[in-house]
Amino acid sequence: MRRRFVIGKILGALSTLVFVVVFNFFLFRVVNDDPINSMFRGRNLTPEQLDRLRVKFNLDGTKWEQFVAYVRQLLHGDLGYSLKSSRPVSTVIAEAIWPTILLVGTSTLLAMLGIALGYRAGWRRGSTFDATATSVSMLTYSMPEYWIGMVALGVFAAGLGWFPVGGLNDPGSTLTGLERILDQLHHMILPATVLAVAYIGEYMIVARSAMIDTSREDYLQLARAKGLREADVRKRHAQPNALLPVVSLSAINFGFVLSGAIAVESIFSWPGIGQQTQFAIAGPDFPMLQGLFLLISAAVILANLAADLLYGYLDPRVAGR
Amino acid sequence: MKRQLGALGLAIAALGTMVVTTANASGGDEKVTLTVGLMQDLDSPNPTAGYLVSAYELWNLQYATLTDKAADDFATEPGLAEKWEASNDGLTYTYTLREGLKWSDGEPLTADDVAWTINTSRDQEWINHSATTANLDAKVIDERTVEITSAVPDPKLPTMDVYILPQHIWEEQAAGDITTYAADDGVGSGAFTLQQWNPGQDWTMVANPNFWRGAPKFDQIVFRVFTEGSAMVAALRAGEIDFVHDVPSEQFEGLTTEEGIETVIGQQGGFSELAMNGMAGGIGDGHPALLDIDVRHAIAKAIDRQALVDRVLLGQGEVNPILGVSPDSVWFPEIPEADQLNYDPAGAAKLLDDAGYLDTDGDGTREMPDGSQPLKFRYAQLSDSDTAGPNQELITGWLKEIGIDTEVSTYDQTQLTDVIASGEYDLFAWGWTPFVDPDPMLSYFTCAQVTTDAESPGYNDANWCSEEYDALYEQQNQELDRAKRVELVHEMLTLFHNESTYVVLYHDADTQAYRTDRFTGWVRQPKDVGPVLFSNTSPSYWNLTPVDGGGDDGGTSTGLIIAIVAGAVVVLGAIVFFAARSRRQQDDKE
Repeated sequence: MRRRFVIGKILGALSTLVFVVVFNFFLFRVVNDDPINSMFRGRNLTPEQLDRLRVKFNLDGTKWEQFVAYVRQLLHGDLGYSLKSSRPVSTVIAEAIWPTILLVGTSTLLAMLGIALGYRAGWRRGSTFDATATSVSMLTYSMPEYWIGMVALGVFAAGLGWFPVGGLNDPGSTLTGLERILDQLHHMILPATVLAVAYIGEYMIVARSAMIDTSREDYLQLARAKGLREADVRKRHAQPNALLPVVSLSAINFGFVLSGAIAVESIFSWPGIGQQTQFAIAGPDFPMLQGLFLLISAAVILANLAADLLYGYLDPRVAGR
Repeated sequence: MKRQLGALGLAIAALGTMVVTTANASGGDEKVTLTVGLMQDLDSPNPTAGYLVSAYELWNLQYATLTDKAADDFATEPGLAEKWEASNDGLTYTYTLREGLKWSDGEPLTADDVAWTINTSRDQEWINHSATTANLDAKVIDERTVEITSAVPDPKLPTMDVYILPQHIWEEQAAGDITTYAADDGVGSGAFTLQQWNPGQDWTMVANPNFWRGAPKFDQIVFRVFTEGSAMVAALRAGEIDFVHDVPSEQFEGLTTEEGIETVIGQQGGFSELAMNGMAGGIGDGHPALLDIDVRHAIAKAIDRQALVDRVLLGQGEVNPILGVSPDSVWFPEIPEADQLNYDPAGAAKLLDDAGYLDTDGDGTREMPDGSQPLKFRYAQLSDSDTAGPNQELITGWLKEIGIDTEVSTYDQTQLTDVIASGEYDLFAWGWTPFVDPDPMLSYFTCAQVTTDAESPGYNDANWCSEEYDALYEQQNQELDRAKRVELVHEMLTLFHNESTYVVLYHDADTQAYRTDRFTGWVRQPKDVGPVLFSNTSPSYWNLTPVDGGGDDGGTSTGLIIAIVAGAVVVLGAIVFFAARSRRQQDDKE
């Protein structure tokens, strides 16, 4: 892989990140520049008290001064304080990130079973397996997560009572150690399955079409002519070449793991990044939104960078050009 | 690939077994817990920083006040203070604390804590204290006696409903920026104190054995945060939670007929209004027709408020034309029949006809008497409200019927605050929730609160100013005779109603529901009409008694449930395993 390719990609990612920081800051302030009055409406505060709140939340001074203060904070790793809770944004994010990685990460991994299904369906295009897998995938892919979540919650949690109606742990429980982890797993099964069902179709469809494209290639005929077994033809010659679209899809989806799943986290009251995003939008809580958007964008940018570099490795033509 | 799949199958099966094991082990939690579901996380447990309803509920539980409020009618009752005495001029009150008061951590609660809280909150202008303590000075006489003097006659005294904080914890915090303190110490004097807060999920409050009324009758309260209303109701039905605050209106009807669940429509004086720009601040560009009281009355009469309550609130509210200044209806005047602005579209049209607002060009919209401009009003509404849209559709339809056109814009709360501050509106719909004492809400509509500089808006969003109202306000603000003060407030509210710069659309309600098989002793505050929790002082908590045998939510079924889950997991594992095997065989065949 050429060094210029790598450096170019990294610089590209960095400049995107800088753009996000600037854009992020002004985006929210264009819509709403001073939430203090509406936040404390009807609280019987004096103008002096309101002004002090403005200073506390870095809402005094010109936009430019606020921006400089924001960037200075950011360079020190300080994301400011949430308008709503007065807690450091970084603390709130740190608390929410683990539940999100657990839930969305698990379901993204589960959904990657779709790749295996897609390869198989694509390899035997037109078979009963292909027809079934494709139509089921199309069906789950087209169902909104929100809807699947509500149905699952209604049937398996509220109706049959097999699972709790949401949350990460039994509230107020004093469980520790392994028991606590297992309690979390019990809470996670339903939302993780819902997300996996919602994601799996996408992987299946992409993997299937990549495999179909590859299966028409002449080099597979050549491999068969050499007398290789069909299984070896698929494994050694077809699958590696059908990998590229799947790699980029997976990388991008892993980037989105950190953005959480707003719909599913909301239905299952899952205390992750998606739920925090929802709370922050309802505020609107600028410092929280800025912190969350920065995190999500950085994750997506990094995942894309990883996909680009991996591409260059898997397909040397990309890096060599 | 096949080896991985096989391993995955085994892992899933193992996991299933472990889930079974834990579920059986976790049945041993003996604590009697009240679980409350709500749609709002805490903002901050710190009473100098937080401002959400959820936080007020926490402070009401954790911090007792010098005087308490009666469950029935908010009458001032002994709290931490067992008695008090007024000086002859009514400016000074001497409170005697109960004997042997202790904080939940065992430290003595003395007059020092009281004086420190009052004086420090005044000096540092704590947001939830200063409205009460701004003019007060507290002096310690002895360990159980504190003397509180007001610089001006204050009709709110002897009521002292500010949260008394433990000086031994907070003194250190007050030296710096007190609002940044996390307030996770859990030391209080109320019925329950904070044990743990898991942001975004839940917080737990445990019974305080040192509470002055005696230890509560159950162990702990868990407040559980939901982000989806129907999931919260499902949890109530499933018995995972015992109480729901803010039942989504479309789910409420279904709960009213459900066996074992009691529903509550709780009034606390909160209301929604349609406001008209009174233009008293001299800024902005309100429609001149709104300065004509006939136009304002016509608008009020065009609105069918009963239909709003029935169709938008689904009956979960009350038609009441009076500004909700308090949850206590003693402050609300009777409006004489002749002055009531009830739904009467024909009367509204006649008012406009008689005042010369006619539709001269036949386009369906009336013009100003001088023909200069049509009666077309900008109507601003909130985006983050379930009721704003339906209200607006009905109201603009009714206005259309009497020849008034509207142009609707939708804003979030911050934007609408800015629009109102700049005076660039004609009509807007919003709402307020009052304190128990009517003074704050009354003060918002004085001339002093009118916005004259959009950069520093006052609270008077009606942009309305009346010398008569202001004079009455000053009188009630200093009137120490309660009966006389009530009369003054009646006069003010009648005036405000007749001026109709605000059309109070309805008084809205808190919709709540609770399971009857878990606790008894729910108390509505105020009597008969208020909510059972999240009321002003929430007396239910220390009054609730667990129902015998209702201590555990269906422990018997848990085992069964887990068995089914485990079964499902094992089946799934088996499927994966066999899929891997059949695939291996196929591979071999190929």
